[in-house]
Amino acid sequence: MGTISIEHGDRLFWLGRYAERVFSTLKALEDLYDNSIDSRPKCYTDFLAKFGLADTYGSAKIFFDSFIFDKENVNSVAASLERAYDNGIVLREEISTEALSFLQLAFDTLEKAQKSAKGLRLSLLPLEDILFGFWGCVSEYVYDYEIRTIIFCGKSVERLDLELRFKSDFGKVQHEFERLCRHLRNVPKNSPYRYNTGQLCRLVEILGSEEDYLKLSDKAITSLGKLFEAEKIPVGVNV
Amino acid sequence: MKTAELNKELYSSPVGNAEEINELLRRYGVKFGIYKNGIFKEQLFPFDPIPRIITHDDFTDMEKGLVQRVDALNKFLFDIYHDKNIIKDGVIPENFVYISSGYLPQCEGITPPNNIYSHISGIDLVQSKDGDWYILEDNLRIPSGASYPLIARELTRVASPAAFSSNSIVDNRNYAKLLKDTMDYSNCGGINAILTPGRYNAAYFEHSYLAELTNSVLVQNDELFVEDNVLYHKTYTGGKTKVGALYRRISDDYLDPLTFEPQSLIGIPNLMEAYRSGNVAIINAPGNGVADDKGIYYFVPKMIEYYLGEKPVLKNAPTYLPFYEEDKEYVLKNLDRLVIKDVAEAGGYGVIFGSELSDEKLENMRQTIINEPRRFIAQEVIDFLDLPILDDGRQVMRKADLRAFVLSGEQTKVWASGLTRFSRNPDSFVVNSSQGGGFKDTWVLSR
Amino acid sequence: MKKLYFHFSTKLTFDNYVHDHSFALRCIPPETPSQHILSCELNISPFVSAMQTVDSFGNNVTSSYLKKEHRYLDFEITGCAEIDCIAQKTDFMPCYSYQSKYTKPDSALTEWYSEISSGCTADDPFERIKFFSDCLSEVMTYEKNSTDTATTAAEAFAIKKGVCQDFTHVMLSVLRMDGIPCRYIAGLASCDGETHSWLEIWTGEYWKGYDPTNNCDISDDYLVLSQGRDFGDCAVDRGVMFGAYTKQLQLIESCLSESSFY
Repeated sequence: MGTISIEHGDRLFWLGRYAERVFSTLKALEDLYDNSIDSRPKCYTDFLAKFGLADTYGSAKIFFDSFIFDKENVNSVAASLERAYDNGIVLREEISTEALSFLQLAFDTLEKAQKSAKGLRLSLLPLEDILFGFWGCVSEYVYDYEIRTIIFCGKSVERLDLELRFKSDFGKVQHEFERLCRHLRNVPKNSPYRYNTGQLCRLVEILGSEEDYLKLSDKAITSLGKLFEAEKIPVGVNV
Repeated sequence: MKTAELNKELYSSPVGNAEEINELLRRYGVKFGIYKNGIFKEQLFPFDPIPRIITHDDFTDMEKGLVQRVDALNKFLFDIYHDKNIIKDGVIPENFVYISSGYLPQCEGITPPNNIYSHISGIDLVQSKDGDWYILEDNLRIPSGASYPLIARELTRVASPAAFSSNSIVDNRNYAKLLKDTMDYSNCGGINAILTPGRYNAAYFEHSYLAELTNSVLVQNDELFVEDNVLYHKTYTGGKTKVGALYRRISDDYLDPLTFEPQSLIGIPNLMEAYRSGNVAIINAPGNGVADDKGIYYFVPKMIEYYLGEKPVLKNAPTYLPFYEEDKEYVLKNLDRLVIKDVAEAGGYGVIFGSELSDEKLENMRQTIINEPRRFIAQEVIDFLDLPILDDGRQVMRKADLRAFVLSGEQTKVWASGLTRFSRNPDSFVVNSSQGGGFKDTWVLSR
Repeated sequence: MKKLYFHFSTKLTFDNYVHDHSFALRCIPPETPSQHILSCELNISPFVSAMQTVDSFGNNVTSSYLKKEHRYLDFEITGCAEIDCIAQKTDFMPCYSYQSKYTKPDSALTEWYSEISSGCTADDPFERIKFFSDCLSEVMTYEKNSTDTATTAAEAFAIKKGVCQDFTHVMLSVLRMDGIPCRYIAGLASCDGETHSWLEIWTGEYWKGYDPTNNCDISDDYLVLSQGRDFGDCAVDRGVMFGAYTKQLQLIESCLSESSFY
C-alpha cells in the first residue's frame, strides 16, 4: 500500500474527528448527567450555551435523550457516530474490518441503551469500552504511519477544539496541544494536513500562558479551525 | 465417496446458531446494498448455518472439469480477439460471437498479460438428484460472492470450533492469497488496486473486504488517472503511484469514456490506451463477456474438445438453441416444460419457466422465439438436489446452486469452497442474491 | 494518384478554467495502400506530452492528459499524402457485418429498407449501394444543425434531415440489413472547411468507398483520418475534463489542396 488519495485522506481525518467527538461528547454528557442528579438539575443549559443553543428541551431527560440518542440532532452522540461510521465504511482496507466492527458494535450498543431499563450511565458503560476497542484496533492494525498520523491529527484537533470550547483546565489543554503538535510534525510536506504556519504560531502564542488562554480561547478556536488552510505565499517582497 | 452418498446426519447438521452468526456477520459489516423505491438500504445477506458439503472425490472431479473449462474459455477469448480459428473451422457460427453484447471490437488484437482474459471466473453449477453436477452458466465479467463464504467460515470457526475439529474440512481462507497471487502474476509493475463504483454498490462490502485481505488499494475512478499511457493513483501529497494491476468491479461499458460509453462517470479516461500499451493488467480483461454469453454457453463443451483435445469432464445442462431449425422445432413443441433464458439478461432476470406460463403467454413466447431466435436459449429443467435450510428453526428443503471460483494465474486453481445460494421461496428455482435468497458455507472435505 | 496537402485544426475554448483533461485524438491519417503519408505534423497547445498507439480498427490514437488549468485546447495537423483511391485495402473485421450502436435500425428504417430493397434488382453490392443512395437522396435532405454527434441513424431517418454523419449512418444501417459489410470513415474531402464522413463497403476482397451525402463515388480528393463501425469509433477528438465551465466552443478548420500551403 503506502499510497493515499485525497479522498481517503479526507475520510481518515474526519473519521478521527468524529470518533473523538463521539467519545468526548459522551464523556461531557456523563459528567453533566452526574451533576444534574442532585446539585443542579438545569446544568445542561450551560452545555447548550457553549454551542450557542437555547434551551428548547425543558427538562434534563429530554435533553439527554436528544443529545445522546437522536440522530437528527447534529450535536448528538448518535449523529457523530453515524458520521464516523460513514467515513469508516470506505476505509476498511486502511483501518481493518476489526476496527470497523467496533463502530457497528457502538451503534448496536447505543440502540440497546436507549431501550434499556437500566440507568442511563450504566447502560452506556459498554459504549466507552467499545470506543477504546476501536482506538485499540487503530493502534494495533494500522501499520502505515501516514494513515495513523492523519487519523490522530483528526482526533487531536477535535479533542482540542472541545477542550477549548468547554474552557477546560489549562493543564489539560496544554497536554492536548502538545499531542497535536507531535502528530503535526509527522505530516509530510504537500499534504493537506500540513499545518499553516501562521495559524500554528498563533496557537503557540495563545496557549503559551494560562493568562492568554483564558482571555483568548475564542481566537484559539478560530486558529485551530484554520490550521490546515493553504499557506498564502506572498507574491512580492517588500524590502 | 460421492456427495450424494453422504451420511444424512452430517449433511443436515447446522453449524453454530444461525442468529448468532448472522449477528456476527452484521457486526463485521457483511451487508448488501439495495435500492428500494430510490432509497439506498443496507440489508443482511441471510446466512444459513447448514453447510453444503462436497466430498473429496466429488471435488476432485469438479476441479478437473472447472480447470479444463476455464482454460478453454481463456483460449477461446484469445482466439476470438486474434485469429478466430474456431469460427473459421466452423465450430461456432460467426454471428453467435459478433452479435453478443460482450464482444468488443475495441479489444481486437490486444493481448493481455500472460494471455489471461478471465482471471476470476465464477462458474455456477447445480447438482441433480442423481448426484451429477451440471454447469448452469459461466460468469467471467465481474463475478461476485467469494467474500461471503470466506468471512462466514472465519465466523463459524469462532462460533462452532467442534464442527471443524471433528470433520476434515479444507480451510477456505486461502482465497485472499489465491486472489493476490493472481493479481501479482499479471501485474505489469506497480501496486494492485481494486476499482469500485462506490459505497452504494451492492457488492461494496466485498470490494473493501478483498482490498483489505489482499493488501490492495481500494479506489474509485477519480482517484486514478492515465498519463503517458500509464495508470496512476493520485496521492494526497500531489504525487502519483503506478498501478500495475487493476481488479475492476465495474463493467466494460463504463471502463473508459474515451473508448466505450462516453457518458460514463465512473470510468477512467484512456485506461484502454494504458492497457493496450501493456502498462497495466485489467482484471478481468475487457471484452471477456463474449465467452459468458448465454448463447456461447452451448458451445463450451465443443470449445474444450477444440482447444484442449479433451472430453469435457462436467456436463452442460441440456440446452437448445432456437437459432438451429431442429432445436427451434423442439423448443416450440416442448415450451411448456423448458426454461427459457434471454441471453441479454443477467442476475436471474429474463429467466422464464414454461410451466408457469398461461396458454396465451406460451403462444406469445413462441412468436417471440420465432421472431428473434438468436435472443433465447432453452434448457431442460434439471431436477435439483434440494438442500436443507433452516426456516424459522424448522428444517426445509430448498433449491440451491453453487458458484465455484476459478482463479487463473501462473496455474489455474479452483478455490476449495464456493458460494452456495438458495432460494427462500419453496417454489422458486431462482437463487440469485439480487432476488432475495440467502447463502451457505460450502465445505470441501479433505479426505 | 494525386498528391494532396492537408491541414486540419480545431480550437476548443471553455468559458471557465478546466483541469485534469484527458483526451484521445484520431486525427493522424493512417498509412494504407490507398494513402501514403509523406509527412504529417501534429501540434497540441497548451504544450503537453502525448502518446501514440494504434487502435483495434487501425486508427492512429494520440492520447494525453493535461493536468494543469487551461481555458483552451488547440490541435492541428499539417502534412502531405499521396492518394490512390483505386489501390485496394484489405483490413477486414467481422464486426463490420453487424449493426452497431449508431446504425441499429428502428421499425421505420427496417420497413423503408424492405420497401426499397424489393425494388432493387442488382446483385453487385456496388450497384446496390448506388441504388439505395439514390433512394436516400430522394427522402433525406442535407441540413446543418438539424442533428448532433449523438444522433443515431434511426433518429436522423425519422426527421429525414441531417449532415454527412447521418447520411453515412443511415446508409450503413441499410447496407448491413442488406448483408453488405461496411464501415464508417471520418476524414477530409475537398476544401469545405470541416471534417467529412463517408463509407466503405466490403466487396468480399477489398474495401471500396462511397459518399452517400453527395451520392457519388469517392476520388483521390478524400483523405481518411479514421475508420470504424460508426461515428463512435471514429471521433476525431474525445475528451473528459473537470472544472466549473458551462460551455465549450469548438472551431474547426480544414483544407485539402494540391499545392503546398506555404
